[in-house]
Amino acid sequence: MPKVRMPKQPAKIQLPMTPMIDIIFQLLIFFLLMPNQQAGEGYLTTNLPRTSGPVAGKEQKDVKRVKIELQVPENDDKGVVIVLNESQTFGRNFEGLLAALQGLQERGLPPDHPVLISPWMSCRHKWVVRAFDMAVAARFTNIHFAVPYI
Amino acid sequence: MHRKVRRKSSASGAVSFNMTPMIDCVFQLIIFFVLTSQFIQLQIEQVTLPLSFAAKPKDVSEYLNVVINLVDEDDPKCMVLGQQVDYRVIEGDNELSRLLKDRKQDAGEGKPLNVILRADALIPYEAVASVMLAAGRAEIEGWWITTEIKDMDEVLKD
Repeated sequence: MPKVRMPKQPAKIQLPMTPMIDIIFQLLIFFLLMPNQQAGEGYLTTNLPRTSGPVAGKEQKDVKRVKIELQVPENDDKGVVIVLNESQTFGRNFEGLLAALQGLQERGLPPDHPVLISPWMSCRHKWVVRAFDMAVAARFTNIHFAVPYI
Repeated sequence: MHRKVRRKSSASGAVSFNMTPMIDCVFQLIIFFVLTSQFIQLQIEQVTLPLSFAAKPKDVSEYLNVVINLVDEDDPKCMVLGQQVDYRVIEGDNELSRLLKDRKQDAGEGKPLNVILRADALIPYEAVASVMLAAGRAEIEGWWITTEIKDMDEVLKD
């Protein structure tokens, strides 16, 4: 009697799940954490006010500088009123402030001329940063912040 | 007749390690520790940062940093390394300036200490100025204000 060869059973295809799951976990961790790391953050670097040395705690009236005062309107404690050199008022118009600062440079003020940002104590931080932005945009490089006397 | 007993050998094939999951796990651990170490170093609090178009991204890992968080616009609190620190302006040193002086002393002469301020956009300037005074008292040289970088148009719309 001839030998009958039984057909071979097809081999079971098994997907290796372990590396796939590992990679998925890695991608998951990466995409969850990376947005927190980047988030489009940047830094403004500036000079700290002097609290030691010969000029510490003294009003420096003799220094000629561009003064940007940030006041707070009575009816809006989150608002701002910009006053440049105690003479020009811009309301909340930061573009106007930028144009005025650029105008000062066009009239011969050097970029390293000191600029003092003097916010009222109740002025919101974002307006202070905005004023700083405008001074940088007008190419001023020597920007300081006013702090209260102790 | 002596019968030959055939012993089944368990060590017939070559032993091979499955390297794939091991490498995967090692990568996961590396990613985890790199990211957590950066978070620990920064100790950042959740704040709504002010927008800026002039700010530049920087690699903070190049410096020795102290991150000062100012949170809660209604009742500003100063958070350093996850702990609330008293920063009110007084004559002499306050808790924040003492902390900064200690950090500066620990840092030594070689690497300058950098203060990174992360203040909420609506924090009153009084709080920021108080932190500035404390940092100035500790004779900190580097002072960075953290912002969210946006285009000029977007900043002006805010």
